[in-house]
Amino acid sequence: MSQVESMRGARILTPAHRGIERYLGGPGYGVSLIFDEREHTRVPTMAKPEASPDIDVEEKLKEAFARGWSVIVWNDPVNLMEYVVYVFKTVLKMNEADASRHMMEVHQKGKSFVARETKEKAEMIVHRLRGFGLNATMEQD
Amino acid sequence: MTSEPINPGQWRLSFAEQEAAFIIHILAQLGRQYQEDPAKMSPATRAYWAGCISRGAAKDDEELKDAQEILAETRSELRSQRLDLVENWIREYELAESRNPWLVEVTDAERDEFVSMLNDRRLLRALEIGVTETEMDADPVQIPEDFRRHAILEIDFLGHFIMAILGPQIHRP
Repeated sequence: MSQVESMRGARILTPAHRGIERYLGGPGYGVSLIFDEREHTRVPTMAKPEASPDIDVEEKLKEAFARGWSVIVWNDPVNLMEYVVYVFKTVLKMNEADASRHMMEVHQKGKSFVARETKEKAEMIVHRLRGFGLNATMEQD
Repeated sequence: MTSEPINPGQWRLSFAEQEAAFIIHILAQLGRQYQEDPAKMSPATRAYWAGCISRGAAKDDEELKDAQEILAETRSELRSQRLDLVENWIREYELAESRNPWLVEVTDAERDEFVSMLNDRRLLRALEIGVTETEMDADPVQIPEDFRRHAILEIDFLGHFIMAILGPQIHRP
């Protein structure tokens, strides 16, 4: 195995991530799942083939009420504006326009609310943004 | 330094001889920083590695206390994982048949980890000198103290590397 190959597959797994993996049904999760409505419904329906549309609706309602945590990115003097846009696109799956708008908000107002999620998912986003060196925190609404 | 896509999700990074030597020097420094005992870190560096899960939350908020502990644990694991990556990059360089240019093929995820490590170094250097927004906006060669000037030049230079590595996917506002 080459050195480059040996570098592959290095994933950061924390207790919080493992919980999220269990929630999402396997290790192939990504933050994109958070924003993909189809993925929210897929896990319960795959795990329970007998699931009815009523259960889906119930799950969705539960999910919506649980999304009471905001992820905030704070300004700092070192991270480059273009890099911040790249990180928002990569981690939060924002499009270019949204990523640029949030970056400018961080730059001009000192902070930007970049996501509203369940506590577990907000934690995972904070971990990922911090892994890229961004100053991210979370707070309950 | 160039970065070009070779396949979907795969990139070839090309470093000129001097650039490669500079990057390896930076990675060696970073490797030492990733191994540093938290007890011996400056308060600012220790705070950077512990991370902060929430600002302004009540200190007795048990939920956030747990979340803070998990974040600190994750960041400690991250240092150790990035140390492994640093060692792999240095080994790759030592084994390279040619270093002018030095060519490295990476996936999207490996490239993201690499730029994140270079950014760690920028942030850690900034913490070392307590850099200000004014200094970051100033012309670095005008900064009188050698130590601060060198740190800011390094931060700027690594910023150019990051931009070059992400180049094809970067939109300049």
